[in-house]
Amino acid sequence: MDKFREYWNKPAHIAYLFIAPAMILLLLFNIIPLIASLVISTFDVSMTLNDARFVGLGNFVEAFHDSRFWNSMWVTIKWTLVEMPVQVIVALLLAALLTKNTWFNKFCRGVYFLPIICSATAVSIMWRIILNSNVGYITFLLNKLGFGKINFMNNPGVTFYVIVFMSVWKSFGISTIILVSAMQNVPRVLYEAAELDRAGKIRQFFSITLPGIAPSLWYVVMTRIIGSLQVFDIVYTTTGGGPNFTTETLVTYVYTRAFEVNRMGYATAVSECLFGLILVITICLYSRMLKQENE
Amino acid sequence: MRRKTVKFVKHIPVYILLSFVVVLILMPLFWMFNSSFKAKVEILAYPPTFFAKVASMVNFEKLARRIPVMAYVKNSVIYALLTAIPGVFINSLAGYAFARLKFKGRNVLFIITLATMMIPFQVVMIPLYLVVHKLGMYDTYAGLILPKMANAISIFMMRSAFSGLPVELEESGRIDGVSEFGLFWRIMLPQCKPTIVTLIILGVNGAWNDLVWPLLVTGDISMRTLSNGLALFVGTDTVEYGAAFAGALISILPMLVLYLIGQRYFVEGTVTSGLKG
Repeated sequence: MDKFREYWNKPAHIAYLFIAPAMILLLLFNIIPLIASLVISTFDVSMTLNDARFVGLGNFVEAFHDSRFWNSMWVTIKWTLVEMPVQVIVALLLAALLTKNTWFNKFCRGVYFLPIICSATAVSIMWRIILNSNVGYITFLLNKLGFGKINFMNNPGVTFYVIVFMSVWKSFGISTIILVSAMQNVPRVLYEAAELDRAGKIRQFFSITLPGIAPSLWYVVMTRIIGSLQVFDIVYTTTGGGPNFTTETLVTYVYTRAFEVNRMGYATAVSECLFGLILVITICLYSRMLKQENE
Repeated sequence: MRRKTVKFVKHIPVYILLSFVVVLILMPLFWMFNSSFKAKVEILAYPPTFFAKVASMVNFEKLARRIPVMAYVKNSVIYALLTAIPGVFINSLAGYAFARLKFKGRNVLFIITLATMMIPFQVVMIPLYLVVHKLGMYDTYAGLILPKMANAISIFMMRSAFSGLPVELEESGRIDGVSEFGLFWRIMLPQCKPTIVTLIILGVNGAWNDLVWPLLVTGDISMRTLSNGLALFVGTDTVEYGAAFAGALISILPMLVLYLIGQRYFVEGTVTSGLKG
C-alpha cells in the first residue's frame, strides 16, 4: 500500500492521474465524435443507427444537387458578409469613443455588455414582440413617426436584416470591450507625438490606433467570421429559417435534416461541408494575418 | 474652466451617440420587464403602453400552467452548476499538470488538447449526439453535463495561471512533505482564485444560456432546461406574449444578478478567453 502511494506521489506519475479526467472526456466527447463524423457521413442512417446503409460519397453528391443546401450556404455566407463588417465597424467606432476611463464611459461599457449575458432565447422573445406588427412598441413608435406599419418578422426581404441586427445587438459588446482594452494598450507617447505634428483625431485613429490594435482587430474579425458561419441560436429562436428559407443557415439546415427528417448521415455530411468552409477561411485569414505582421 | 466647457460642448455629439446606444439596449429590456407584469388586455392594447398600469402576476401564473417552468429552472441550475464547478476542478487539474509537472508526452497531449479548440461544436453535434445516445445517456443529466465539462479553453487558462506562480511555493511545499495532490489543492490552487472565479462565472453563464446541446440531448418535457424549454414553448409564431415575456424575464434575471456581482470577472474573462457570442 505504501509502495503504491509512493509510486503515485511522484510528479511524473501523478500527472497522468491529474490529466486523466479531462483527457478522457475530451477524447470521448470531442475527438471520437469528430472521427465518427467521417464515418457517419458515408452512411444513410437514422437516429437509432439501425439499418445503416453505406452510400460512400452519396450524401455529398446529394448535397451538391440539393437547392436547399445551396440556399443555406448562401444565407450563411451572406450573414457573414453582413454581420461581421457591421459588428466590427460599430465596435471600432464605439471603442474609439470609450477608450478613456471616465465614469460615463465605464457606465456605457457596462451597459453594452449586458446583452451578452442574456440567453438568445430571451433576446429573441424580447425583440420579436417589440417588433411585432400589432403589439410591438418599436413598430408603434415608427408608425407614429410616419413609417407605416412595418412587417419586420415575416417579410422575406427584411427579416434577414432584422435578425442580423438582433445578432449585432446581442454581441457587439464583446467586440467593443476587446477593442477598448487593445486601444488602452497603445502607447500614449505615439498620440503625444501626433499632437505635436498637429495630426487630427481621425488621422490619429487611422495611423496610430488601427495599426496599434491590429492583432486584437484580427482576433475579433476571425472569431466573428467563425461565429457567423455557425450561427444557429438566434435564427432558431426567431424564425426557424423562414420566411421562405430566407434565414435558413447551414447549421439550421443541419438541425432540420437530423431531427425533423431523421437523416443523420446526410446532416453530418452537410456539417462537414461547413467544417471545410470554416477551415479554408481560417487558413486564408491566418496566413494573411501572418503576412501582414511580417511586413 | 472655460476651456473645459468648450471641450464639453465639442463632445456633445459623442455623448448623444453613446447615450443613444445605451437607450437602444436598455429600452427593450425595460419594456420587456414592464410588459411581464401587464394584464392581458394591456399587452394586446393599441397603442401599446411603455409602463404597466397595474402590476399583475397573471403572466407568470399562465406560464407556470402552460410549461413546467420550475422544473426547467431546476434543470438549468443543475446543468449550470454541475458543468461549471466540477468542470473547473478537472480542467484545473489538467492545467496544473501541463504547467507544473514534467511527464512523458506532455507536449503532444497539450497540443492535442489545444487542437480540440478548433473543432466547432456545431460541426460535431450530430455525431456527439449519437455517441451520447449509444452510451445510454440520452435524456439524462449525465448526457447533458459530461460532454460540456472538459474544455480546452479552461485548461489553457488554468495552465497560464499556474505557470505564473513562483517555483519557491512548490519547492517549500515539497520540503515540508506535502503530497502532490495536497500541493495542488491546498497551496497552488488557492493562488489562482481570480481565474477560477472567472471560469466558474463564464461556465455558469454559458450553460444557463446554452440552447443547442440541451435541445439535442433532452427529449422528455421534464428534462428540458429553461433556455430550450422556453424556445420550444414560444416556437416561431407565439401569440402568448405575456407568458413569453415572463419566461424571458426568468431567464435573464439570475444572470443579471450574477453580472452585477461579478462584472469584473465577466469582462476580464471575455477579453482573455474570447467568449463566443
